[in-house]
Amino acid sequence: MKKNIFYISCVIFFLIPVLLLMLKSLTTPWRSGALPDWTLRGWETVFQDSRVIESMIITLGIALAVALINLIVGIPVAKALSHRSFKLKNTIEVLLLLPLFLPVMAAAMGLHITMIRLGLANTWIGVTVVHLVPTIPYAIKVLKAGYDRIPQDMLNQGRMLKAGVWHAFRTIELPLLIPSIRSAIFLAVTISAGQYVLTAIIGGGSVITMPIIYYPFLQSADDTVMSAFSVAFVLIPAAAILIAEAAAMALAGRLFIKRRSI
Amino acid sequence: MKKTTILLTGLLLAGCSAQSDTEEIDLSSQSWEDITETAAGETVRLYMWGGDTGINSYIDEYAIPALQEEYDVTLERIPLNTNEIIQKLETEKRADQDEGTIDLIWMNGENFKRAKEGDLLFGPFVEEIPSYQDYYQAEDYEYDFGTATEGYEAPWGKVQFVFQYDSAVVDTPPSTLDELADWVAENPGRFTYPEASDFTGNAFIRHVMLGKAVEAEELLGEPYEPLEEEQSAAMWDFLNQLEPDLWRGGETYPASLEELDRLYSQGEVWMTMGYNEARAESLVRDGIFPETTESFVLEDPGSIGNTHFLSIPYNSPNKEAAMAAIDFFLSPDAQLEKLKPDYWGESTPLDPASLSEEQRAAFDELDRGQTVPDAEKLADTYISEVDADYVEWIESEWRNEVAAD
Repeated sequence: MKKNIFYISCVIFFLIPVLLLMLKSLTTPWRSGALPDWTLRGWETVFQDSRVIESMIITLGIALAVALINLIVGIPVAKALSHRSFKLKNTIEVLLLLPLFLPVMAAAMGLHITMIRLGLANTWIGVTVVHLVPTIPYAIKVLKAGYDRIPQDMLNQGRMLKAGVWHAFRTIELPLLIPSIRSAIFLAVTISAGQYVLTAIIGGGSVITMPIIYYPFLQSADDTVMSAFSVAFVLIPAAAILIAEAAAMALAGRLFIKRRSI
Repeated sequence: MKKTTILLTGLLLAGCSAQSDTEEIDLSSQSWEDITETAAGETVRLYMWGGDTGINSYIDEYAIPALQEEYDVTLERIPLNTNEIIQKLETEKRADQDEGTIDLIWMNGENFKRAKEGDLLFGPFVEEIPSYQDYYQAEDYEYDFGTATEGYEAPWGKVQFVFQYDSAVVDTPPSTLDELADWVAENPGRFTYPEASDFTGNAFIRHVMLGKAVEAEELLGEPYEPLEEEQSAAMWDFLNQLEPDLWRGGETYPASLEELDRLYSQGEVWMTMGYNEARAESLVRDGIFPETTESFVLEDPGSIGNTHFLSIPYNSPNKEAAMAAIDFFLSPDAQLEKLKPDYWGESTPLDPASLSEEQRAAFDELDRGQTVPDAEKLADTYISEVDADYVEWIESEWRNEVAAD
């Protein structure tokens, strides 16, 4: 019964909208009283700009870099927030979430000057750094929830058996954190890949990501083109997650072998 | 880690060295030949809004190869919204960055005002451009939405405000504001306009202002001055009387032109509107608007038209090449190509009297498409844009006078 509800809601809320979107990308706009025609125009527009494929690869690269930095920064912070007690802990937790409440435009303006002085404006490194602003708070939040589910006793036990920090992390924390890491990567990738204003200001047109090409087309009543771009855009998070899973599998395999050999 | 540090230092150094070798160019001592000679082999980065396939293909398929051939200048089109472009320049100015990435910007009106007042533009330069000298009437382009251009921007295109209607359901379109009001009363729910904060909605209300509150001639070239209460009352009355018969009884207005276009495309309303008299051509061709779509202009008060321009930022790294590109874009050949409905379909700001017989014939004979009103009609109804400050005034007043109740 429970399973059925899951499948039915999947179909209603996920499968049908995606299929509709795909259908819309291949037909002329739907009008009451007239049957739409098939058309490839939407997809022709997507690939009209010769930089689309390149921009998708750049978007993917930046998104993966952002996700990786998110994990490297997020995991230690999350662990500290979850398993240690120190002064002003709650205050710090709130402070870390604050960037989310800052208007993007204000953040972009302030950071742009800094980026120019650092020589990072108009480079992909600068864009990657600036994408950390709207992603890291989420990563910390999600990973902290993950750590909250690991009992302190379990970590203590590992330490008692003389596991070093790294060893304990690898064999106890990491496997238990996997679902949270998945969510953190997914969030970081989708948020980073969807940035327009931050990328436009800091990348300054020198870093052309998918949204730079795609967003101007949202200002039209042309559903065909919008649907085609949306379907193409979905490929980026999908590819990022495949890559992350493959990397995790390769890494896990190595870690596993290493553990056996100890 | 080490690698990143090296990379970061490298970038820092690159940033510094780029700043030190900027050149000031003195236009008075250079002939056009000098300029084109410096321009040859350079790359020009044109920053422009990128949401129209027709405009994009005009640049990508026509302009890039043609400019390469004419001046050996490589053109790169960078899609970015104008607001972000100006934003970027403002910050670069504050950070004293003299070597930017933008060589050409496409803009007009409020954006030009902002850029000019912020000292973000290079110039005056238009007098140096041969095409401008040969084919354009300087006095027509002294003002851009009331801001004096003073040679800081070169006219690139001209558009006029038109209404579109579905001829399958509308027999005769209205030709004055009062006829429009009658039509709306007879066909409740079939007309609306975007709210005043939208570019197009605001332009519609400016037509009402010029038809009901003041004469267009009174405002021409005059600085902004808020209208007297008794003057403005007439325009708000007109809009308030329209309201009950608008789409959804005027309880809500489309937030943007896209929403109005979508309502029209789905047959909910029977009229839409917009700047660029040729805008319906590609929308009909692509099946977004019904094939029975046609256009009309209001004879009273007329149809507001405006010009859009090309400018060079103060920190453009290739100013000579940017000027060569502008000369190319303003030339009759490039303008004729721009008028063709397969690309942009947009009208030209050049002065027909300056063209040779042959060139003029090419412009006259070009078929702009079925949805574009006659050139004569457009010219007869043309009225100039008012000061940019009225846009803001209308936005805040409309909210109180029309939307609030």
